[in-house]
Amino acid sequence: MRKGISGVVILVLLTLMISACSNGNNAASTNAGASQTPAETQQPAASEPKDGGSLIIGVASDPVVLNPNYAGDRVSLTIDQALYAPLFQVNKGEKTFYLAESLTPSEDNLTYTLKLKDGLTWHDGEKLTADDIVFTIDSILDEKQNSFLRANFLIGDQAIKAVKVDDLTVDFQLPQVSPAFEATLVQVFPIPKHIFENETDIEKSTKNAAPVGSGPFKFKEYKAGEYLTLERFDNYFGGKPHLDSVTYRIAKDTNAANLALQNGEINVQYLDPKDVATIQATNNFEILPYSEGRLAYLMFNANSDTGALAKKEVRQALSLALSRDELIQTAYTSSEYADPAKSFLTPDALYFTNEVTTFDNDAAKAKELLASAGESNLKLRYIVQSGNKAQEAISLYVQQKLKAVGVEVELQNMDSSAWVQKFIDLKSTDYELALTGYIMGYDPDAYRILFTTDSSSNYSHYSNSEVDKLMNDGAGEADPAQRAEIYKKAQELVAEDAPIYPIAYTKTVVAVSKNYGGIDEAVLKPVVIFEDLSKIYQK
Amino acid sequence: MRQLIVRRLLQTLPMLFFVSVVCFTMIKLAPGDPVLSFVTPNMHADDIERIRHNLGLDKPAYIQYFIWIKEMVQGNFGYSLINHQPVLGQILERLPATAGLMGSAIALAVILAIPLGLVAGANRNRWVDKLINFISYVGISIPLFWLAILLMYLFAIKLHLLPSMGMRTIGVESPLDVLKHGILPCSVLAFGFLAGYVRYIRSSTIGQLKEEYVQIQYAFGSKKSTILFRHVLKHVLLPVITLLGMSMGDLVAGAIVTETVFSWPGIGSLGMTAVKGMDYPVIMGITLFSSLMLILGNMVADILYSFVDPRIKLKG
Repeated sequence: MRKGISGVVILVLLTLMISACSNGNNAASTNAGASQTPAETQQPAASEPKDGGSLIIGVASDPVVLNPNYAGDRVSLTIDQALYAPLFQVNKGEKTFYLAESLTPSEDNLTYTLKLKDGLTWHDGEKLTADDIVFTIDSILDEKQNSFLRANFLIGDQAIKAVKVDDLTVDFQLPQVSPAFEATLVQVFPIPKHIFENETDIEKSTKNAAPVGSGPFKFKEYKAGEYLTLERFDNYFGGKPHLDSVTYRIAKDTNAANLALQNGEINVQYLDPKDVATIQATNNFEILPYSEGRLAYLMFNANSDTGALAKKEVRQALSLALSRDELIQTAYTSSEYADPAKSFLTPDALYFTNEVTTFDNDAAKAKELLASAGESNLKLRYIVQSGNKAQEAISLYVQQKLKAVGVEVELQNMDSSAWVQKFIDLKSTDYELALTGYIMGYDPDAYRILFTTDSSSNYSHYSNSEVDKLMNDGAGEADPAQRAEIYKKAQELVAEDAPIYPIAYTKTVVAVSKNYGGIDEAVLKPVVIFEDLSKIYQK
Repeated sequence: MRQLIVRRLLQTLPMLFFVSVVCFTMIKLAPGDPVLSFVTPNMHADDIERIRHNLGLDKPAYIQYFIWIKEMVQGNFGYSLINHQPVLGQILERLPATAGLMGSAIALAVILAIPLGLVAGANRNRWVDKLINFISYVGISIPLFWLAILLMYLFAIKLHLLPSMGMRTIGVESPLDVLKHGILPCSVLAFGFLAGYVRYIRSSTIGQLKEEYVQIQYAFGSKKSTILFRHVLKHVLLPVITLLGMSMGDLVAGAIVTETVFSWPGIGSLGMTAVKGMDYPVIMGITLFSSLMLILGNMVADILYSFVDPRIKLKG
């Protein structure tokens, strides 16, 4: 028996050893990202940026693909932001140039000339030139390649052309005037031509597994399901980054990730508002709520088989039965994490105004409107993603509030895949209500696909010819003052027609260990957390 | 014996084919679409359709199945629809982590279950038995993810004895470091099985203690512990082997939860991601792999059975 037990003990040790050894195929590295204990995180803060140290960012999944032409998920985009430099970025209408030195539109606004900075290099030491920019745009436009960005580079049905002028200059030739082109270019993070030029399928290329970028950090190692580490790129054009390395630690379970954060095994992590108090109580973290330019809204499906929500008065009445403040409290626990929304544009968008007609919190008027629309005993179907706490809470709230004005709401809980499939199917007619949200970027033209008649993402089936005209005019209007007028009017008309009930401009909450500085300079940014990781330093 | 093993292995092929057909049909009947997992509101419909076409998702389901079969026969198990990497490569990359976790968990469960079950059975209705029974009930009733969070909180946050998650300290390549990281997930996974095994061994022990050979040993003046561990144990081990073979399915299910909570980079967490993204080549690959494990587990159990009790003859 003793032999048997010792045999099993050896088996336990052996099996763990096997798994340890067989995963050790990557180059050994120093313990740069070793976890810190909370005691270590409580060291006194130094005011001057220091060089060295590492940062561990918690992410919810493995990256899908480390190539910015194909990255659509939050984790890949976050890592790509450190690996690849953009041409330029826009924050609150202000441009910050990265690889580009300038972007100048021609007088007729049909050509944009991009000048690159001099002396740019890729992580492998090759020069970054206009050829790389042209190659990147061409591969996005290549139909055989699967880039999500392709349709953004079509104006009307015609493609934008990128033409090399010299090693540091590229001309973008537009088929027609499109002020939203700059917002399209913001999404471009050039990929190296010398790496990918002979690849027939760039998305499947094994070269994506060892990416060569131009950002502040270069690829070091990736352990699938565990972590991905980047190390400092000393020749970064923006100046040598402070940190030696940045690691993205994969933590799929939110509760476990929060514990790892408290334990010092993660330094930066998204927080659910309900977890803020727990993390704040440790006194080791800065809690940073910031806007992601996201609108959370209740969608009214005007295309449902009952036709109930095709009437503007009914949509307005339903909106009047609800209260934004109560909804924010219900779903986001506090107004600190969500600002009341009235416009379909988000506050980061150009020409945004929240000074529009609003329907909110007036049950008596809601009943009147329903009566005047000839609707009594209205029954609505509300599709809810099971397990989505915010959706479940809001659906119960909506059911209760609409009942108070005589509208019966049937909740239909479904799996998230089924929910998405039903929601994005423009032919779905068997439901009326759904809670959802969007992040569309800063140029209002991006919202055209949501609110113009028969467009691809017009899930509420909203149709107003005046809005169609305004949105189409706005897309081609080069004069900012005229554009501002157009979008102000469009916001007012959409608010009046109430195709959706805008609830809140939600904020993302990030916890950052107090052991790190330079957060303001790094700029908190939607989806990718930090715009420029080179600025962060360990105190 | 060799002939028998070969025959049994050949029998697994039609079984795996059947599993693949059922699994594929179920995935295709389920709502959802892999493309939807990366659709965002600002993606244009043209892009979505182009990507769906390029991935072959606009083809009829039976053609998609035959394409998958072709890929499988070629040995790569198809390509993930999400990250476009060969499925077999992803499974093999994560196999050691899962094998290590499952192997050590099952071994730990057996190590602890045998003495606990024997002691509980031999002390029926006494306080020791009641205590062990209580622990078993807790083990059967407690959800694995909850136990995982509880242990993580206790040993990582409060006592600072163990790392809370992952399989290694970042950048460290040391078997000892992996062992340290493996303690919590291994214990959690083992605990679920331990409870079931203890209860099984306990009732088996109670039955054995009534047998004539035990009474004879008592009559010869043998010590209780000697009777238990030298004589009763042999008889109790037999059903445990069957139980081990049957546990393979539960083991895979338990590993999915444990790996997800502890960010253990095994097949379970890979499967969880695949299911969320409706990534059917990965789901199919993992299902076939799990089925194969279940079949092989039962086959190994049968073989062990014949070793422990030579009276049992195996028949193909």
